[in-house]
Amino acid sequence: MKVSLNTVKQYTDVDISVDELVTKINAQLGGVEAVIDLGARYEKATIAKIVKCEKHPNADKLSVCEIDAGTGENIQVVCGAPNVREGLFVVWLPPGSTVPASFADKAPFVLEARELRGVVSNGMLASAKELGIGESHDGILEIDPNEWKPSDVEIKPGTSFARAYGLDDTIIDIENKMFTHRPDLFGQLGVAREIAGIQHKQFTSPDWYKKTVEFGSGEGLKLEVRNDTPEIVPRFMAVAIKNVVVKPSPLWLQAELVRLGSKPISNIVDVTNYIMLLTGQPLHAYDYDKVATGVLGARAAKQGETIALLSGKTIQLDESDMVITDGQKSIGLAGVMGGAETEVSADTKNIILECATFDMYTVRKTSMRHGIFTDAVTRYNKGQSPLQNPNVLHLAMQSIVDTAGGEEGSEVVDNKNLSAFEEKYTRPITLNETFINSRLGLTLGHDEIRQLLENVECIVGGETDSTITPPFWRTDLELAEDIVEEVGRLYGFDKLPHTLPRRSIKPAPRNADRVLAQKTRDRLSRAGANEVLTYSFVHENIIKQAGQDSAQASKLSNALSPDLQYYRLSLTPSLLNKVHMNIKAGFDGFAIFERNKVHFKGEMDPDEPNIPHEDEHIGLVIAHDDKQKPSGSPYYHALKYLGQITKLEAAQLVPLASFDLAKDEWGRQLTAPYEPHRSAIIVKDDEIWGVVGEYKRSVKRAFKLPDFTAGFEVHQAIITEPEVVYAPLSKYPGSERDICFQVARSTPYADVVRVAAEAANHETIDCSIQPVDIYQPDVGDTKNITLRLTFTSQQKTLSGDEVTALVKAVTDRVVAELSAVVI
Amino acid sequence: MKDIADIRETLLQRFDTLETKSDILKAPELKVMFNAIKDQSVEERAAFGHAVNQIRVELQAKVASAEAADEVIEPLDVTAPWDVNTGPIALLSTEDGSIHPLMREITVLGDIFERMGFAIEGSREIDDQYHMFESLNFPKGHPARDDYDTFMTVETDKDGEPLIAPAHTSTMQNRMLKKYKANLVADEPIAVVVPDRVFRNEDLDARHEHTFYQVEGVYVAKNVHAGMLIATLKEFLQAYYAKELDVRVNPFYFPFTEPSFEFALSCPFCDKKGCGICGYEGWIELLGCGMIHPNVLKAADIDPTVYTGFAFGCGIDRLVMMKYGIEDVRHFHSGKLDFLRQF
Repeated sequence: MKVSLNTVKQYTDVDISVDELVTKINAQLGGVEAVIDLGARYEKATIAKIVKCEKHPNADKLSVCEIDAGTGENIQVVCGAPNVREGLFVVWLPPGSTVPASFADKAPFVLEARELRGVVSNGMLASAKELGIGESHDGILEIDPNEWKPSDVEIKPGTSFARAYGLDDTIIDIENKMFTHRPDLFGQLGVAREIAGIQHKQFTSPDWYKKTVEFGSGEGLKLEVRNDTPEIVPRFMAVAIKNVVVKPSPLWLQAELVRLGSKPISNIVDVTNYIMLLTGQPLHAYDYDKVATGVLGARAAKQGETIALLSGKTIQLDESDMVITDGQKSIGLAGVMGGAETEVSADTKNIILECATFDMYTVRKTSMRHGIFTDAVTRYNKGQSPLQNPNVLHLAMQSIVDTAGGEEGSEVVDNKNLSAFEEKYTRPITLNETFINSRLGLTLGHDEIRQLLENVECIVGGETDSTITPPFWRTDLELAEDIVEEVGRLYGFDKLPHTLPRRSIKPAPRNADRVLAQKTRDRLSRAGANEVLTYSFVHENIIKQAGQDSAQASKLSNALSPDLQYYRLSLTPSLLNKVHMNIKAGFDGFAIFERNKVHFKGEMDPDEPNIPHEDEHIGLVIAHDDKQKPSGSPYYHALKYLGQITKLEAAQLVPLASFDLAKDEWGRQLTAPYEPHRSAIIVKDDEIWGVVGEYKRSVKRAFKLPDFTAGFEVHQAIITEPEVVYAPLSKYPGSERDICFQVARSTPYADVVRVAAEAANHETIDCSIQPVDIYQPDVGDTKNITLRLTFTSQQKTLSGDEVTALVKAVTDRVVAELSAVVI
Repeated sequence: MKDIADIRETLLQRFDTLETKSDILKAPELKVMFNAIKDQSVEERAAFGHAVNQIRVELQAKVASAEAADEVIEPLDVTAPWDVNTGPIALLSTEDGSIHPLMREITVLGDIFERMGFAIEGSREIDDQYHMFESLNFPKGHPARDDYDTFMTVETDKDGEPLIAPAHTSTMQNRMLKKYKANLVADEPIAVVVPDRVFRNEDLDARHEHTFYQVEGVYVAKNVHAGMLIATLKEFLQAYYAKELDVRVNPFYFPFTEPSFEFALSCPFCDKKGCGICGYEGWIELLGCGMIHPNVLKAADIDPTVYTGFAFGCGIDRLVMMKYGIEDVRHFHSGKLDFLRQF
């Protein structure tokens, strides 16, 4: 929101410096994004009178002028404009000044005294375009010294151009976001009121804005308003004005628009724009004679209806759009943009002036859907108050007549349906200083609060001065809490006391998941692994490369790039995607892990059935470059890492190849990248809780993985804090025996350990079993498993015979149950 | 034609020696022959082309059968502690291990909030519009929704509204208020922080990420006022930076707080003298906060006439970037070991 300090000063005093004002606006109104010193642009631009004008001796199209710029002597300037002539008041840019339009350019154009075809020109006479106040470059800007303007600066040779037309201005650009709930602050008048309020000054709105207006009557042009959707158009005011003359606006008005960041177009359009910039209420002018029926209608668009807009674009509408019609066909997109067909042009003689209020949500929806963002949209979608329309329309009518002539051609039509609005916004709010002070931590008195509010024209009244009636433009003041904000802000939030809340010494609850997550991180990083974070969204290709089915994944409808199209089904594909790049970057061997959420479409949250369930997973991938890989299969390395964060029973590891996933879509997606013969499912209570293993050849190829790559992905619920089961230390030494069993290749190692442990189970003698060696010859179908058994008695030192008997019990059992041979 | 037979022989011999059998299909000889087709005379062109193609088909078949042979996969014993004919597994060096800087920082700031009496909770990555917007006093179609470039899903909730990837951790606010509401009855405050991942549909560059982390905080009790919000955040930041700081608030607009503030701290890196980190301003605008809007309390069945509270939301990525001087936000999710192993 660009705020002109000069415009603000038309409505309130500002007696602090610009820097102080900006600090105050930041602290009490909204973030200032930029402060532009407009005056610097026009610093040397001076009004001058052409006292003599002759043809250039050496150039047909140039004139040599003598100008009076109030310096006491005439100055010679060469000018190429066709409209240059004696007696004209013009803007002179002296040598050493910068052409205003080029001021913000990388290389601003600085004038000097130089010869043009042998005649010295001291600077130049400027066109509207060079002055940055218009597009016209056909000739130099002509100033009419007798034209009315708001400032009382006299137009004479030597007058500063900027001062005469308010261009000696400072523009303060305040973040729009701050004013989302403040439609009134999208007008200069509203901002001026706030600037008064934060300076603790009384603000008084001008009569034209606040006083009840009386409309005159006009006749000659038929005008009818048909409002089919009063709930979306709570107020629709319109009037016809006849016999106007469309031409450029007076210079002061053009300058006002330029200061406010707008562009002058023609007197009619400029008046509607200027009043919108002042009040926040958009207006629209139609060429009356192009609205053949004399009817303005408001209705929902018809499916498939098209409209050609002022911007030159033709768009297709649907029933969610609101249109303005001529009673039949649409001639404008309500609240967004007017139509091309009824546009005011140089030939326009009669106009209809519209001042309507549209539902903010409908305007926003249409604007978003069609991607059309206009000044009107910015204002309408904040919810402008319909109660200001009569005053705004009244001012607009007067201003049109002032700048374009003509007279009222019809009655003022006021189609209104304000009951819902009035009920919501004009209710008095109870003023209770205890309520206000307790929420701000202040001790303001009643009168202090009253003054702050009255400064911005809230009405404090009632029997005990305890009700606040917000003024009609304040749609944001609805609740007592809104008044708290208002008082705090106007008083100054920087003056709030910094007091910490008091609480009991009850400890805050600990989040067990968080503690476990931190331990998981600690353990894996201590084991040399690196924690990564990867995106929650993946490209469909990543899902497919991992052998997963993208149809099972939730899909984004508005992703900026296909890289972020799907919620990931598991962490593994994202991790695999980070392997090749790190190998290429020169890392020979590494393990990366991530703890994050995964989503499986269609599985809803048991606690909140309306939203998808989310699982927290931990995934890890270990990879070694071909040149440096460790011996053996990578599976066992992945298993070793998994062992760092959870203690698994052997029975929980089931070969993936032997697990039936036919009915388990989720299990299929989780395990899709893993090679069934070289991976294990992690089972708990007959359910799948994870997978550990090597990857399918197709997956390795797709992700360019080195041969030595494996990993795991588990649900966080299997990560548990191991329970400590203490065994008292024995006073007696333990006895070790190594036993080597030859078993079939297909016999799992865990079976051998399990049978041995069962056989060694004894009331008073503990037996620990550790692996020593697993040997498998190249030929044949057997392997040798060597275990170390350590027997320890709590009661005595075991004799050799006792140990031998214990060992025999173990070997007999293993031999019998697993067809093993003791070697 | 004699040449073609020779070339075929050469290629077949080379095939036997190749480690990656499919490389044979990229042999330069094949390309040369294919290019030569168009140079043949019209009479010979068809026969020549056919012969060249025959060689390619033959090689493709050999590659396919070699790869199929490779596919024979040796099963392994998933219960063994290590592979046959090897020994115990060595882990990688502890020195090379690392914890992600964002997770490390979340631990640090979570610990401070925990010491201050806040419970810590996690957020969601997919949520409904009720929690992201409605329960936070953003009615349907509210223009403030435009300030959040929210990712939407094709899938919809029971109201037919798209689900969303939360653009702020405030998406948990209603749930947190409800979960800890019993505290109020016991005359204890609701005090919760939610540090977690959020999403904005933005183009990536050195300063903008579509995926980042935020910490949300809520505090509700009797007689909570806006000064307490400022004091609490100041206390947190002083603990975080281990130094005395100045703080300031500017008015802001959020639908879910009233009043709303933008909160800034004096630059802890230059003590307001001005430096590259604070953009020579001396102040760092860090977070948004405010007094919880009565409608938000009501949505959680908390009586706003009895209880008041404050809420805040702070970006974590920026804290970490400032702390370590990280130049590019994209490093966080890059998975680059060069980056990660520095932490």
